[in-house]
Amino acid sequence: MATVNGMRGVSRVPAYVVMQPTTLCNLDCVYCYLPLRAQDRRMPVEVARAVAADANAWAALGRFSVVWHGGEPLAAGRDHLGALMAPFDAAVEQHVQTNATLLDDAWCEFFAARGVRVSVSVDGPEDLNAERVSRAGRPAYDRIVKGIGALRRHGQSFAALCVVGDPRPGVASRLYEYFLELGCDTLGVNIEEREGVNERANAHDPDAVRAFWAELVGAWRADPRIHVRELEWSLRYLGAVLDGTSDDLLPRELDPIPTVGHDGAVVLLSPELAGFHDAVHGDFSSGNVLHAPLSSLLAEPRHTSWVPEFLAGVEACRDTCAYFGFCGGGHAANRYFEHGRFDGTQTEHCRNSKINLLDGVLDHVRRAG
Amino acid sequence: MSDALADRIRDARGELTPLLEEARLARLARSEVPGADSTAVCAWNHFENIPTFFNWNNRPR
Repeated sequence: MATVNGMRGVSRVPAYVVMQPTTLCNLDCVYCYLPLRAQDRRMPVEVARAVAADANAWAALGRFSVVWHGGEPLAAGRDHLGALMAPFDAAVEQHVQTNATLLDDAWCEFFAARGVRVSVSVDGPEDLNAERVSRAGRPAYDRIVKGIGALRRHGQSFAALCVVGDPRPGVASRLYEYFLELGCDTLGVNIEEREGVNERANAHDPDAVRAFWAELVGAWRADPRIHVRELEWSLRYLGAVLDGTSDDLLPRELDPIPTVGHDGAVVLLSPELAGFHDAVHGDFSSGNVLHAPLSSLLAEPRHTSWVPEFLAGVEACRDTCAYFGFCGGGHAANRYFEHGRFDGTQTEHCRNSKINLLDGVLDHVRRAG
Repeated sequence: MSDALADRIRDARGELTPLLEEARLARLARSEVPGADSTAVCAWNHFENIPTFFNWNNRPR
């Protein structure tokens, strides 16, 4: 195999930081990985101030984003979320991932006033959305749709993230048609992952998964108004192979993607690790922004005990996987929660969302051709 | 990349080429151009930087 370049080590400067304004989520989705979602542990403003000190400097050098992630970030309340956002300069892009159930006119005005980019979590039409439920186990679909209606009423563009628990033929077309009608401009499709407190198996019939992705290409091709993350990356890679440039497509280094928990603890590379504990690696954190600047916590990623093991895993992917140039190596959380360590290679997530994705796109063109 | 995967992709060149062209035109229709920074526009040349935070690798969900 030719050596694929990129993804060697971890960059000291991130492109974005993930912030947890509260651990609380007002929903209790069946597949959720978050361990503290029933508790309302709010991020103090001093944590945001500490992060902003570096984020503002990074944004002055180039594009930089803060992603408010949860829990459910809107559960922190407008006043508190506004106070957390306030220390960040206007040059810092602000993004929020929300379950949409709390969205109303006031939130839309809040987002518009701050230029916040919004992405909603919704899994498709009501019958495919059944795993998104309240603490009482009641379907959240009507509340989600009502919240998205507020975004539309205010002319707020939005992205959507969709979790698919059962990828198979017949599902993808329905989903794409739904999201066209919903009016999102970008769509990410996550095949359910075995992570965190979600221990449900995520192995699927590979033929069914390939057929799911192939069908999604066909549906998208008929009306390509939506930017579908998985398809754009597939097509970008396939085009690069045809152009002979695929070995240099990956970024030079991994983005550290620091996740700053409610208490200021920083977890690198995989936000899904935040809030968990391991006998060897402890809480996976690389320090706390209340005790040291974020930039200093990112200076020596290999000093965090699990990161060298993960980087060995990336190199193992590079050496053994034909799809490395497409994906850049299995994600840390997928490795850990599927294999129990970070230096294994192919995960079920790799198969569902990378390998069978690319093969599904190829299946589509072979059939369409 | 393995020769087998590369060969499969190259063997599909005839069918992939129109799909890639459709994707290019679709991006233009969505006003997605390199360097654009509006919501849900893919920063095509920047692997990590796709609003809304749709990073392909080690991404949050």
